[in-house]
Amino acid sequence: MPVSIEYKAKNELLQKFPKIEICLKCNTCALVCPVQYAGFSPTNTYVNNVFSAPEPEKNPNIWLCVSCHKCEEICPYEVKPTEVIEALKDEAFEKGYAPEAIREEINQVLTVGFAFPIFQSLGFINRERGRRGLQPLGERKVEEIRKIAAKTGLANKMVRGKTK
Amino acid sequence: MTKEYAFFRGCFVPVRLPHLEAVSQKVFSELGVSLVNLNDFTCCPEPVGVGINDKMTWLSLAARNLAVAEECGLDVITICNGCTYTLRHAQRNLNKNKQLRNKINETISDTGHEYRGTVKVSHFLEVLKNEVGMKKLKSAVKRPLSGLTIATHTGCHILSPKEVMEFDDPFDPTVLDDLVAVLGATPADYDMKTMCCGWTLMTYGSREGAYALLKDKLGNMKLAKSDCITVVCPQCFYQFDMGQWIASRKDIPQYNLPVLFYLQLLGLAMDYNLQDIGYDSHKVKNPEFENKIK
Repeated sequence: MPVSIEYKAKNELLQKFPKIEICLKCNTCALVCPVQYAGFSPTNTYVNNVFSAPEPEKNPNIWLCVSCHKCEEICPYEVKPTEVIEALKDEAFEKGYAPEAIREEINQVLTVGFAFPIFQSLGFINRERGRRGLQPLGERKVEEIRKIAAKTGLANKMVRGKTK
Repeated sequence: MTKEYAFFRGCFVPVRLPHLEAVSQKVFSELGVSLVNLNDFTCCPEPVGVGINDKMTWLSLAARNLAVAEECGLDVITICNGCTYTLRHAQRNLNKNKQLRNKINETISDTGHEYRGTVKVSHFLEVLKNEVGMKKLKSAVKRPLSGLTIATHTGCHILSPKEVMEFDDPFDPTVLDDLVAVLGATPADYDMKTMCCGWTLMTYGSREGAYALLKDKLGNMKLAKSDCITVVCPQCFYQFDMGQWIASRKDIPQYNLPVLFYLQLLGLAMDYNLQDIGYDSHKVKNPEFENKIK
């Protein structure tokens, strides 16, 4: 499956990451990629799927990538698919295509300083911690996180993404 | 002399797996390493969900965490591959790029912190291997785990990218095997050793894919006659424990492979019992394994 250059978005992707063109579809990356288990095959690999989608930043499959970097380490031509996928996620997030799970996790970090939901179950967590002889969990420096997120623009991005 | 480290617990361990936090404190204090809790630490932040989608915020929050440890004059110890990945990426990027460091420092200046680049970040395996040393570990073993064959799973984010993590060979990791052998156990030689645990696949995308992955990976461990699995990352722990439990109710065989965080295994070798290491809160338990610990 050759990389299609019919689409405008694809041209942009190729310009940004010219190494995509070197990709020989040798499928070596498929041997080590965990995402292969999500319905891909040696003749239709995950990396092919990402590289050849018509509007790559809208392809929901980009969110499956674990960023384990195995593909770039095994690639015989140094294509570095991880870089492309990460850049696509960045772009997709900015344009509001990120799945709810991602937005919710970022929201958790910005509002409580933990990457996982804790508020409803804080009492339970602290009981369990007490049973193990540990101090209860206190509040994290959320105010400082807010200041940083306001400066980097992430706070705004979160608001904008919501309206999409 | 007791060496002190700023204990970067992350989010997952203190919230969902507090027994691993307790066992880390206990084991390290017996080895002469003191883990100091700093209240100012926040989420590292988590690389896959947060980091990749907004690089500047990722680096800024990580730099703030590093600065917190620096201000206390302590090096950082982590017990999670993800935290290690984030902190080490921030450190590497900011140390080699002065312009970026100034920009990030400007971003975090409102919080009163400044990253100066003097702190060292170590995963606990590195502390065990380099700081405590194999010799001391060996002498700490009071009950050799000689009857056990153990499948080691080092995980993804501590191995790759190799030039940033500088930890072990991404396709043939041996550090954890060596550390298992020191305890008297036999590291299992199994296929798909460096394949991901599937945690992220399970969380952000394809549950069925994650089950299929577990079926293959656990099957290979079983083929190599493993008694249990050992991991060094709480997400891998959760995926192999809870994930295995959930998957075994769907369509994968009952492998019944208990999962132990490496520090739990070390604890067992130091003559703690299963209760001391928090085995009671594990989802997957296997009497055959328990009998071999007696």
